[in-house]
Amino acid sequence: MSMIAKALVAPAALLAVLAAVPGPAVAQSAAVTAAINAGDVGERADGYLGIRGSVSAEVRGQVEQMNIKRRALYTEKAAARGVSVEEIAAATGCQTLRRVATGHAYTLDGSSWRVRGPGDPPPSPPNCPG
Amino acid sequence: MKETHLISETAGASARRMRRLLFIPLVALAPGCIQVKAPEKPIEINLNVNVRQEVLVRLQRDAQELIEANPELFPQ
Repeated sequence: MSMIAKALVAPAALLAVLAAVPGPAVAQSAAVTAAINAGDVGERADGYLGIRGSVSAEVRGQVEQMNIKRRALYTEKAAARGVSVEEIAAATGCQTLRRVATGHAYTLDGSSWRVRGPGDPPPSPPNCPG
Repeated sequence: MKETHLISETAGASARRMRRLLFIPLVALAPGCIQVKAPEKPIEINLNVNVRQEVLVRLQRDAQELIEANPELFPQ
């Protein structure tokens, strides 16, 4: 996907990896949270996290792990509800986009990113309720 | 009768009138009506949109529960 390819370049990523090798689970979400606050990582309308800016290999790896775990949750719930994984994922995307804070990034189509500005209403993907 | 009135005007009728004719059950029974196919496509698209939205609406509560039960996967 293009957003992942976009973030592959950063040479600084190598240094960041060396610096952050002993990163336990707690530091994990802290690094991702920092990237979200910086607008480098954001929510996608399809229910997954996306990488918008240039992030360290550490953050990229953690985002991928979180998406894998999200997919596992979606898969489980989809089976329980008799819907497709994409449907429950998109339904979750309705919620995560609604929660996007001012200054945080999001994408409705997976490729073009926007930042929620001050005074902007919560982002709402097409077909989401409300 | 309203129906016969509409039908009698059909000869030089506008497209709008033709569409209105579709909703008269008697006309639907008559074979070979040219106007029947006109509105099918847009109606079908709307139906798809509604079904999809209906699924999203129905799953909102599940989505919310997923997020609340797994805050580490859904940071804010």
